[in-house]
Amino acid sequence: MSSSSPITQDTQPVIQCNSVYKIFGDNAKKMLQASKGNVDAKVFQDAGCIVGVNNASFEVPKGDLLVVMGLSGSGKSTLLRCASRLTDATAGQIFIDGEDLLAMSNKRLIELRRNKMGMVFQSFALLPHKTVLENIAFPLQVKGINTHESIKRAKDMVDLVGLDGRENYFPRELSGGQQQRVGIARSLAVEPDIWFLDEPFSALDPLIRKEMQDEFMRLQGVLNKTILFVTHDFDEALRLADRIAIMKDGIIEQLDTPANIVLNPATEYVRKFTEEVPREKVLRIESVMDPVDTSEVLSDLKVSKDAIIETVAEAVLGQEKPVAVIGADNQVVGAVHSSKVIHVLFGSRAGTENRN
Amino acid sequence: MSSKFIKTLGALVTGLMLVFGASTVRAADSSAPIVIPTHNWSSQVVMAYVIGGIFESMGNNVEYVSADTQAVYESIRQGDVTISHEVWQSTFGASFYAAMAKGGIIDAGTHAAKTLEEVGVPQWVIDENLCPGLPNWEALKNCKDVFATPDSGGKGRILEGPQSWHGQEYPDRVEALLGDDYVVKFAGGADALWAELAAAKKEGRGTIIFNWTPNFTDADGFVFIEWPPYYLGCRKQDGGDSKCGSPIGWLKKAANYKFPKTHPAAYTMFSRLSFNAGQIGQMAALVDIDGMTHEDAAKKWLADNEDVWKPFIGKGM
Amino acid sequence: MCCLAAGLERKIGIDSRIMNQLTNHPKLIQFIGLLVIFSLLCFFIAPSETNVLWRFPSLLAGLPYLINDSVEYLMFDWWPIQVYDPEIEEFEEKPLILQVTRAISASILFLIGLIREIILGGFKTIVTFTSWDFVSENKWARWPALPWTVVAGGAILLGYKLQGKGLAMLAGFSTIYLAVFGQWEPSMQTLSFVLFAAPVSFILGLTLGIWAYKNRNVELTLNPFLNVMQIMPHFSYLVPVMVFFGIGDHAGAIATIIFATPPMVRLTVLGLKRVSPEVLEAGMMSGCSNFQLMYKVLIPTARRDLLIGVNQVIMQCLAMAVIASFIGAKGLGFNLLLSLNGLRIGEAIEQGICIVLIAVVLDRLSLAWANKKTDYFAELTFIKRHKYSLLFLVILVAGSVLAYVGTFIFREGYNYLYIVPHNKGITIKDTLQNGVDWIWDTFFFALKGFNVFLIQEILMPMKAAYLSMPVAATLVLTMGVGYIIGGIRSAAIVGGFILFIALTEWWDRALITMYLMSFAVIVASIIGVTVGTLCAQNAYTAKFILLVCDTFQTFPSFIYLIPVIMLFGVTDTSVCIAVIVYATVPATRYTVEGLRSVSPDLHDAGSMSGVNRLQRWIKIELPMSFPHMALGVNQTVVFALSMVIIGAMIGTDDLGQYILKALSDKNGTGNGLTLGLCVAFIGLAVDQVIRTWANERKKVLGLA
Repeated sequence: MSSSSPITQDTQPVIQCNSVYKIFGDNAKKMLQASKGNVDAKVFQDAGCIVGVNNASFEVPKGDLLVVMGLSGSGKSTLLRCASRLTDATAGQIFIDGEDLLAMSNKRLIELRRNKMGMVFQSFALLPHKTVLENIAFPLQVKGINTHESIKRAKDMVDLVGLDGRENYFPRELSGGQQQRVGIARSLAVEPDIWFLDEPFSALDPLIRKEMQDEFMRLQGVLNKTILFVTHDFDEALRLADRIAIMKDGIIEQLDTPANIVLNPATEYVRKFTEEVPREKVLRIESVMDPVDTSEVLSDLKVSKDAIIETVAEAVLGQEKPVAVIGADNQVVGAVHSSKVIHVLFGSRAGTENRN
Repeated sequence: MSSKFIKTLGALVTGLMLVFGASTVRAADSSAPIVIPTHNWSSQVVMAYVIGGIFESMGNNVEYVSADTQAVYESIRQGDVTISHEVWQSTFGASFYAAMAKGGIIDAGTHAAKTLEEVGVPQWVIDENLCPGLPNWEALKNCKDVFATPDSGGKGRILEGPQSWHGQEYPDRVEALLGDDYVVKFAGGADALWAELAAAKKEGRGTIIFNWTPNFTDADGFVFIEWPPYYLGCRKQDGGDSKCGSPIGWLKKAANYKFPKTHPAAYTMFSRLSFNAGQIGQMAALVDIDGMTHEDAAKKWLADNEDVWKPFIGKGM
Repeated sequence: MCCLAAGLERKIGIDSRIMNQLTNHPKLIQFIGLLVIFSLLCFFIAPSETNVLWRFPSLLAGLPYLINDSVEYLMFDWWPIQVYDPEIEEFEEKPLILQVTRAISASILFLIGLIREIILGGFKTIVTFTSWDFVSENKWARWPALPWTVVAGGAILLGYKLQGKGLAMLAGFSTIYLAVFGQWEPSMQTLSFVLFAAPVSFILGLTLGIWAYKNRNVELTLNPFLNVMQIMPHFSYLVPVMVFFGIGDHAGAIATIIFATPPMVRLTVLGLKRVSPEVLEAGMMSGCSNFQLMYKVLIPTARRDLLIGVNQVIMQCLAMAVIASFIGAKGLGFNLLLSLNGLRIGEAIEQGICIVLIAVVLDRLSLAWANKKTDYFAELTFIKRHKYSLLFLVILVAGSVLAYVGTFIFREGYNYLYIVPHNKGITIKDTLQNGVDWIWDTFFFALKGFNVFLIQEILMPMKAAYLSMPVAATLVLTMGVGYIIGGIRSAAIVGGFILFIALTEWWDRALITMYLMSFAVIVASIIGVTVGTLCAQNAYTAKFILLVCDTFQTFPSFIYLIPVIMLFGVTDTSVCIAVIVYATVPATRYTVEGLRSVSPDLHDAGSMSGVNRLQRWIKIELPMSFPHMALGVNQTVVFALSMVIIGAMIGTDDLGQYILKALSDKNGTGNGLTLGLCVAFIGLAVDQVIRTWANERKKVLGLA
C-alpha cells in the first residue's frame, strides 16, 4: 500500500521464486525431468499426476503486497504453500531474504517460521481448546517465551485487532469475523517480516469481508509487512494489491499492477475478469493526473495521488477548478481535471452497460 | 562422585541383607504371606478367613486373593496361591489331579467332612409325591413328563452344573441308565442352579438339579437320587459302563510344594486341619442365614470354637 | 423389501413389475441365485458324519495343543536360569520368561497396592521397601487409611474445581453413597484397580494411535489385532493372562487393559485424522517442532474423539470389574459374584449401582479436567493460587480430627467417621430384593406361556435349522453374500473366517452361537430402531435415551442374568433376553445418532414437497441414516456375541460353554484362545459384510 511503484531499490527481494513447479503424484519428479520444464497438464494427468504449480516465477520486494488471484483449482494456494514450504516444491528455487528455502534444514525452517513468517488461513485454523489469548500467545510460547511475557504480548495483539474484552472466549464462542481477527493477531504475534494470507476473508459474509479488508489495510498501513495474499475474489485483489498475479491451471497468466491488468489484460482469460471491472474502482488519481501547470489555479481541495478514483470522484467533480494532487510528502505533484475523471467514470463503459 | 555413592549404597544394601539374612536363618516360618484363595460360595470364603485367622494367631502373614474355582490349581502350582482348603472330589478332583500331574502342587490331607455331590430333587417333590418311588433312580423312568421342560423335547431334563465340573459323566450315566428318556443340560454356574430351584419352588413343579452337601440348600430340604452304588472303575472314562452314582466324596486340602519348606509350622497345622460337615455348615449359616459378612462370620466362629481349632496348632502354642 | 412390495401389488402387471425390479436391481438376481444354490446344496448333501461336505474334518483340532505347548514351553522350559529362593534357601531352576512376567506382575501389583493403600491404608507398600519380617516385627509400620470423609471431601473439591457445583454434587453424592451403604472398602479396591488400568490403557492407546497415525504400515498391521482383541470374548484370554502373569489384581488389570485399549487406539487415529489440515499448517507456521505439533496442536485439537476414547476406556474398565475378579481382582466385582451365588439379588444391585456411580464420576471428572480454563489476569496471592491445595489440607486435617473424635463417640464397634466397614452401612437391599421378588411374582406365570411358545415355536426350530445346514452350503452362502456386497476380496475374507471355524472341532457349537446371536440381533435391531426412532423425534428424549444407553452399558450384565433365569429358567430364552437387553444399546444409540444427523435442510425440502411425518421418515430420514444405522447393527453383533458368551453363565451348549470350560482344561490356554478366535471370526465376518455395504452406501449418498 505504501508504495505503488515497482521495485526501484536494488536491495534483494524478500521472497523470490524461480520456475517453481509443484506436481502431485508418485513419479512426479521423473516425469518433470523428462518434460524438461514444458509441462502439459493433460499428459501428466493421464499418467496419474496432478499439476499444482507450473513454472511460476515472481519476486516480492520488502513492504510489497502481492496478491495471487485465481479460481479454485488454479494452484494459487499450492503456490503459497510452496513459498512457506508447507509443501515441498517439486522443482525450482525459492529464496527468502536470499536464503535457499528448499535447502534449509528442518531446524532452520522452524527457526525461520518462529521469527520471520506469519500465516492466516481461510478457515481460521484456531486451536479449539485454547482461548483467544492463548491462541494468540501460542506461537510465542512455542518459541519458548514464558507464559507471563507471551500473554502480555498477546494482550497487545488483542488490542491491535480490536478484540478487547474477549480475551477469555473460546473460538467457538466468536463470530467468523472475530475468529479471523484472532487468526490475524496470532499470525502477527511474533512480529514477522513476511505475512502469508490464504483467502483470509473468503469464508466471511460480504459485509464483514469489506470491514475486514478495511481493517487489513489499516494494519498494513501501520505494519508495512511483505505480503503474499491469496484470493479468488478479483475485486478484493484490486482493492488490496500492489501487484496481482493471476493464475490458471498452475500457470501465472499475468503479473502486474492492478491498473495495468485492468487496462492491458495480457490474455483472453485475464480480460474476462477485467471487462466487468469499473475502472474508477481500480485506477488511482495518479493515472489521470496531469503535470503541474503553474499557470493553472488549483482548488483548495487536495487529493492523494494514491487515492482510488472512485473514492474521490464526487469531491473532484464538485470543484470548479482542477484539483491539486499531492504525494507522500504532501508536496503537490500534479493536478487532476474533472473531464478526465468523467471519462474514466462514463467514457469507455457505454457499451458494457448496454449489454447489461 | 556418583560411583562413590553407588559403592556406599552397595555396601549399605549388603549390610542390610546380612542383617535381615541373619534373621531368616530359622526353623520358624517365613514371614512372607500365605496366599489363601477365596471362591464364590459362602462356606469356602468363611473357611478361608477362619484358616487365615488361625495362621495369623500363629504369627504368620496372610493374604487373600479371589480366584476361579477351576483355575486356582494352576495358580497353586505356580506359587501365586499357597493353599486351597476345599477341594471337592467330584467337582474339582479333575482339575486338582491335572495340576498334580504337572507337578508343583501337593496333597495336604483330607477333611473329616464327607461330601456328596449328586443330582437330586427338592424336598417338595418327595412330599407331594410328584414322582412315586423317588429317591430310587428307577422311579425316574416313569415320570419323565414331571421333569420335562419346554426345550427338552418331551424328555425329562436333568440340570447339571457347568461342563467344567464333571465333563461327560452325567450324560454318560443318564444314557446308560435312563436311555433316551432324559437329557442333561449344563447350567452356567451355581447361581443358575439356585435360580432354577427357586423358580421350581414357586411353581411347585418338579426339577432335578445337581447339588451337594453340606450346602445352604440343606435347610429347605434336598433329596439326592439314589443311583446304583459307585465302585472303582465303574465310570466310562475309567473303562466302566457308567451305570453307577457318585461316591461319598472326600474334601481335600492342597498346597504349593514349597509350603512345607517355607512355613513348616503353618504347614503342619494345615495338614492336621480338619472340619466336619457340621462345622462347615455352621460357617455357611453365619453368612447365609444370619446375614453376617464373611470376615465377621469367621471371627465369630473362631471365637466360639477355640476348642476345635486350637488343637490343630499342636504343642508349643 | 422389493419382493414384498411386488407381492403386495398382486393384481396388475405382476410379471412385468417383477421383471422391472429384477432388471433394476441386478444384485437381487444374484441373491436369488445364491439362495437357490444354497437350497440345492442343503437338499443334496447327506447329513452323515462321514460326508466331508456335511461337516469338514477337524484339521485344526491340533491347533489348541500347538498353542498350548508353545506357551508352556516358553513359560516353563525355555532358557532356564538359576534363581536363589531365600525362603527355602536353595537355588532353583526357573525359566527366564516366567521370571520376567512375574517381575512385571510385581511392579503392577505394587502400583495398584500403592494407590489402594493411600486410600485404605495397609503395609504392603512398606513391605516392598523393607521386608515381611520388618513389618511382622514392627507393628507400628502401618500406613493409616484416609478417613472416608477426606476422600469424599476431596472428590467434592475436585469436582468443584474442575467444573463447579453440579459436578461437586455428583461427586459428593456418589462418594457418600459408597460410604454410607457400607461399600467403601470394596469400592476403593475397585477404584484403585481402575485408577491403574484406565490411565495405562489411555496412554498405551494414545501411543499406539499416534504411531499408527504417523505410519501407515503400523496402522495396517495393528488393525487386525485390534479387531480380534475387541471381539474376542473376555473369558477366552483369562487363562493365558493367568499363565503369563499369575492371579491377583494385576492379572485383572492386564485383562482389562487388553480389552480397553483397542477403542482408544481407534479413536486416537480417527481423531488425529480428522484434524483439519489448516490447523496442522497453522501449527507448522507457528514454528512448532514435531513434538510440539503432536502434543500442543494435534492431540488437543483431536480432543473430542480422544475424550470419547477416555469415556470408552473408563466404561470398559468398570464393565470388566466383575470378569476381572475371576482372576483375582478384589473389590465390588468379586462381592457381586458372591452375592449372586447366594441369590442375594438386592445386595448385588446395590453393588452394581456402586460400579455405575464410580464410572459416571470418573467419566465426568476426566471430561471436566480436559475442558478446564485458565485465567491469566487475576492477580493471585499465594493463598488464592493454592486455594484448592490448602482447602484439601483443611479437609484432611478436619477429617482426621473427626475420625479421631469418632474413636470416642463409637467406643463399641466401628468408627463410622473413619471407615464405614463393609456391609455395616445402611442398606436398601431388602427393598430392592422385594422389588425383584414383586416383578417375579407378578410376571412369572404370565411370562411362562410366552416362554414355552418362544422356545417351542421359534427357538428350537431355528436352532435345528442352523444345525441342519451342511457346512459346504454355509460356506457358499456366506462367501456368496460377501461376493455380492464386496466383490472377491470380501468373499475371500469372509470365507477365510468361516473356513477356520469349520475346520476346528467346534463347528456345531459355533452354529449354536450363530443361532443365538442372529436371533438376538434381529430382535435387538427391531427394538433399537423403533425406540431410537421414537426418541430421536426431539432433542430431550434423544438425550435421555443416550443416557439410558450409557447406564445399561456399565451396569454389570451379570446382575440381570439371575432375575432372567428366575423368570425364564435355564433356557435359551433367558440367554436371548439377556443378550437382547445388552445388544439393544448400540442399535438404539446408532439409530438416534443417525437420525439426528440427517440435515435439517432435507427435512425442510421434504416438508416443502408435501410429505407427511411417516413418509418423511420412510423416504428421507431412514435411507439417509441407514448406513450409520447399519454400523449400529454391526456394533449390535459385537455386543450380542460378547453377551452370548457370557450367557454360558446361564447355561448354553455353544462356544461359550467351552470357553468357560477352558478355565479348568489341562490345555486351557490353547482351547481358550482358539475358541476365542472362533467367536471373533464370526463377528469379523459379519463386520466385513456390513461395513463394506455401509461404506458403499455412504459413498452413493455422498456422506463419506
